[in-house]
Amino acid sequence: MITLYAITDHPTPPVPRLGEMRVVPSGDLAAVCGPVIKGEVTAEALWQHEQLVEALMQDRDVLPVRYGTCLPDDAAAERTLQDNHAEFAASLDTVRGAVELAVRVFAALDRAHVPTPAAAPMTGAEYLRARARSAAEESDATVIVHSPLARAARACTVARVNRPGELLRAAYLVDRDQTAPFAAHVKEIQEGNPQLRITCTGPWPPYSFAGS
Amino acid sequence: MTTLAEQDIGLVDLIDRLLGGGVVIAGDITLAAADVDLVYVGLRALIASVATATEKGVLPGMGSAL
Repeated sequence: MITLYAITDHPTPPVPRLGEMRVVPSGDLAAVCGPVIKGEVTAEALWQHEQLVEALMQDRDVLPVRYGTCLPDDAAAERTLQDNHAEFAASLDTVRGAVELAVRVFAALDRAHVPTPAAAPMTGAEYLRARARSAAEESDATVIVHSPLARAARACTVARVNRPGELLRAAYLVDRDQTAPFAAHVKEIQEGNPQLRITCTGPWPPYSFAGS
Repeated sequence: MTTLAEQDIGLVDLIDRLLGGGVVIAGDITLAAADVDLVYVGLRALIASVATATEKGVLPGMGSAL
């Protein structure tokens, strides 16, 4: 069994001497593979995996493969490249020369006064008011944060928010040489909107734009 | 309400990407999508003890000020 880290163009620069990575080529694409990851899925294991993909990303365009993807052998990797050639080639073109930046927006205000079901049962009217307020805040975050950032990016994705107080969870595909201006843009929006708490991490390999 | 500490954001963004993003290939996947929530739960407990979680830097100028 082998682990698949990323898909890239072929020919490709020599892969970094990390994690026993190696290239399995097929036509104008290549799969970067390595030994199967053993052991528990821990934060450390995820960061190690990420480190390898980021090292690859330094000097080539990559389509990162979902963590934990294993194939029986090199022949299976070649088949995967052949069977999905059109899709992979198109996705590589989409992310060429770009990286991913992750942005989250939270409500910065101390919302401890908002009753939670555990702390104090809400009446129906209170619940509806809280829901309406939350929806309005999400809408504001979209207008204030997402819209201008989307215009500064090559592409974007918005995921469903899934945490208390989270108003926006988005990813932006940004040209490699535009990450600093993008970050400055985020900072500017943050400074003008103290009611929001905005986080921006990256640059990441384009996980959210890899095509599946 | 609990909010994510700054050092947690990098790890949460990482988990979202590695376990929820990337090319999905038909094959012998060792980690099914259905397991992601369980991994989250397990990893949340680890976050505080993982030094590398803060290394994924938040972009220049984007750190503790936010």
